[in-house]
Amino acid sequence: MSSPSSTRRPDRLLILSVFIVASCGLAYELVAGALASYLLGDSVLQFSSIIGCYLFAMGVGSHLSKYIKDEDLLARFIDIELLVGLLGGVSATVLFVIFAWMAGPFRSVLYALVFALGVLVGMEIPLVMRILNARQAEFSELVSRVLTFDYLGALVVSLLFPIILAPHLGLARTAFLFGIANAGVALLTVRVFRSEIRHARSLALRSAIVLGLLLGGFALSERITQWSERGIFGDEIVHAETTPYQRLVVTQWHDDLRLYINGNLQFSSRDEHRYHEALVHPVLAALPGVKRVLVLGGGDGLAAREILRYPSVQEITLVDLDPAMTRLFSTSAPLTALNKGALKDPRVHVINADAGQWLETAGTAFDAIIIDLPDPNSYGLGKLYSEPFYRLVREHLSENGLVVIQSTSPYFAPHAYWCVVTTLEAAGFKTYPYHAYVPSFGEWGFVIGDRTGRYQPPTQYALPMRWLDATTTRDMFIFPADMQRVTVEPNRLNNQSLVRYFEEDWHRVIR
Amino acid sequence: MNRRDFLKLSTLAGLTGCSGRLPWQGPPVTVNMPGMAWGHLLRDRLPTPNPTRERSVEVAILGSGVAGLFAGWRLAQAGFTDFCILGGPEPGGNTAGSVLAGIPCPTGAHYLPLPSMESIHVREMLADFGVLRGDPHAARPVYDESVLVHAPDERLFMAGKWQEGLVPQHGLDDMAREQIRRFFAEVARLRTERGADGRRAFVIPLVQSSSDPAFTGLADETFAVWLGRNGFTAPPLCWYLDYCCRDDYGEGIEQVSAWAGLHYFASRDGHAANAEDGTVLTWPEGLQPVARHLRERIGAVRWLEGMALRVSEHRHGVEVCCFDAARDEAFTLHAKRVIVAMPLHVAAHVVANLADFGFDKTRDLPASASWLVSNFLLDGFPPEPDVRQPLAWDNVIYGSQGLGWVVATHQWIRQAKPAQTVFTAYHALANLPPAVARAWLAKASPAELLELAGRDLKAAYGSGFQRYVQRVEITVRGHAMATPAPGFLNRPGIAALRAADRKILFAHADLSGLSVFEEAAWWGEQAARHVLT
Repeated sequence: MSSPSSTRRPDRLLILSVFIVASCGLAYELVAGALASYLLGDSVLQFSSIIGCYLFAMGVGSHLSKYIKDEDLLARFIDIELLVGLLGGVSATVLFVIFAWMAGPFRSVLYALVFALGVLVGMEIPLVMRILNARQAEFSELVSRVLTFDYLGALVVSLLFPIILAPHLGLARTAFLFGIANAGVALLTVRVFRSEIRHARSLALRSAIVLGLLLGGFALSERITQWSERGIFGDEIVHAETTPYQRLVVTQWHDDLRLYINGNLQFSSRDEHRYHEALVHPVLAALPGVKRVLVLGGGDGLAAREILRYPSVQEITLVDLDPAMTRLFSTSAPLTALNKGALKDPRVHVINADAGQWLETAGTAFDAIIIDLPDPNSYGLGKLYSEPFYRLVREHLSENGLVVIQSTSPYFAPHAYWCVVTTLEAAGFKTYPYHAYVPSFGEWGFVIGDRTGRYQPPTQYALPMRWLDATTTRDMFIFPADMQRVTVEPNRLNNQSLVRYFEEDWHRVIR
Repeated sequence: MNRRDFLKLSTLAGLTGCSGRLPWQGPPVTVNMPGMAWGHLLRDRLPTPNPTRERSVEVAILGSGVAGLFAGWRLAQAGFTDFCILGGPEPGGNTAGSVLAGIPCPTGAHYLPLPSMESIHVREMLADFGVLRGDPHAARPVYDESVLVHAPDERLFMAGKWQEGLVPQHGLDDMAREQIRRFFAEVARLRTERGADGRRAFVIPLVQSSSDPAFTGLADETFAVWLGRNGFTAPPLCWYLDYCCRDDYGEGIEQVSAWAGLHYFASRDGHAANAEDGTVLTWPEGLQPVARHLRERIGAVRWLEGMALRVSEHRHGVEVCCFDAARDEAFTLHAKRVIVAMPLHVAAHVVANLADFGFDKTRDLPASASWLVSNFLLDGFPPEPDVRQPLAWDNVIYGSQGLGWVVATHQWIRQAKPAQTVFTAYHALANLPPAVARAWLAKASPAELLELAGRDLKAAYGSGFQRYVQRVEITVRGHAMATPAPGFLNRPGIAALRAADRKILFAHADLSGLSVFEEAAWWGEQAARHVLT
């Protein structure tokens, strides 16, 4: 209590820095653990191994701290703060980028980073204690105060991290935030102790640079995440959005616009006309005077664009699950240019609902139903390729109506493709399977169904087409020797065989 | 406070801390005890008002569980119109359901196995319901697919991981593997085994099973003793069989007779044209739609609210004193015949001359097990640890005393998971003397019931599960079902009630001694046949 008041402020600063340093130390550990759990799964293993590695490294750091000379204590403490701030701050972003670009070294980098951070953090507390000790604080008082604030800092972060930081800031920005705190401690220490440190000016400059870098990283981390996705997608990303249902990414390379949902290509503007002409016109051109059309899925408005070309069409009901998807395709300029503003057309009614739920309650019948849903790669989507679902579709089809279903590739996924056809037949439809070549997808499959068995593919088109004509249409309905029908079970809700076929088929193609 | 008080207090704090839930953080809990207040009123013979009205009817069905509803459905189907059905203290019995935030969910039984060839009565009802399509006598009928349980149907949480199906698979030693294989080979053999009387050893309905003592003798020992005698000792197999018995009978292998334990596996050989063997029929709200269908066929005009207080046989018919608690009024039913479609422990208080039928309460009344059926309304789905083993319809924790949970929205045909769902957790209070279990249930606080109900969910999802829980509705069924304990096949009083063909007929699963839909429906069918012939 006899210490002169002039030394009090610096002491208090050091105690405050213990609090911050302890918070940051725990934060990096939590960020690394959470990130590893997200990306690798098995959270118990990830958290235990990361905490173990980190604590061990802290022990190594504590041991190494004795090699720092007494006269360098403050300067080294500042150096360590800067290094911890920099390494810890970028840790989450670096790990995410590495995970996105190259799968191999992720684990090695993860543990190397955790170990390095642990060593540095392990040196912090011993150094602060020695600094305070050198400033003649009583030892018992010192140990008690330092450790109190050390543990207090840990408590605060352990509460903030799961409740506020991880859910609201995200891991990348949380890491940057604590990096900034570390660099802030460094800068403040330089300012307060400038009289006691050699080269204080250069240390202050270094601190400012690190702080600037981290602030930049904090601001840009969203962009960096997008950039790392570019490593996955290849092209410039013009729009990226995570909705409650999916991740939507639109890329552009010269005149080629592409939409990816959860990383799977949905269309390329270079050849989507082939896909959508093949999806829509064999049905609509065979229904003279078609008035009411239902589209399930197709939130990109490209099928609607083709349907709107028929003057007899009075009403298109488009049911897509994700409001973000239909909003994007009715507002973004390059995308509305592509779908010719179809979703804003007064004849189009956009409904954001689950197609299964909507059909259960909808009362009206349609002349044509166009099912353009994502591929059946989950049990949820598999339910919308099932016999009960097709029976529901049948109830909403007028007597002479036609349904068409995009049904994955008959070349790459023959079991899945013919399973859709078989299921449609089990639901009481007569089926007309066909396929079209879409360069960015390869050979793609569709199937038309009707109740009457009277469907005939169109032999001519009144509307001008970019690709379809009488010859291509005739060829579409012919399955050559390497795409012959295979015998499969229909997709029953009770075994979801389609999801299994789909996975097995594509697993064979993609190595 | 002295030191000893402090120690006591801290021990207490440690105990409550174990639950991992602070009292002010818990979700709102509703506890329903259907039928309990009325049942105890009956037991304690509390005074009721004098009857204010009368009604005469040819046949009165007393009780609206599966047996009562089935009897009514059969009568209506045969064109018999002069009857009524008294809802009783628990309308629907074990087929009841609830709705939380617009999501239908079960508060009782939740599935029906594919009916075997012998359960033709159930097949006929399902055909009438439109669930079974085509010929109900076909070996492999077609069932409505939206009602066949959707994939993935079952998974088991074992050694920190989910695995497909409920039979333990991973991390087993050779001995356990071999015993599991041998057990299933044994029940496959028993499925086709016939007794000296030419009948199949194990049949649903159980009265059609062989009466060869080689098989019925199995009803005199516990399943656990039989398993030990036959070298089935591996803990994973024993846990699985104990789970199955608790799931079907409310008691484990130590209480249930070997005959009942084997009947579970060997009697069910229903097939479907469009599903694998062993598939079940299920609805989002459990068996409630089946009960609703039966009730619609019976017709609202034949439905009476209220419960029977006293049934007495006269020379010209039967008089039933009834009480409608909702209106607080009593009335009298005069019927030529009545079908007593209530549990025997209730009938023992209601039917004045039960002893005349040869039924001795102390000798013939089966013990009954208690259940908790707990519906957790969730905002969103808690994250699954393993994407390759997604949430199934039925999710069970290996080694748990609970019975896992089913997902009420599983059968919905949806592209995406709904924003809210209901997980229905089942817990039979097995391994406790039934009276002790019921005493505990009667005085347990909502927080204590919630702790028990949520154990399996917490084991699977950790305490993070709490964040998803919006509301919990716990249904306590103190006398949920009769226990098929050793000796249950040879109770003379039960045989007497089965055979009764006087003015009073009996119909309830208690006549089989096992609480299974097919059995209850069978006795409803028999009573209706007696009326019709």
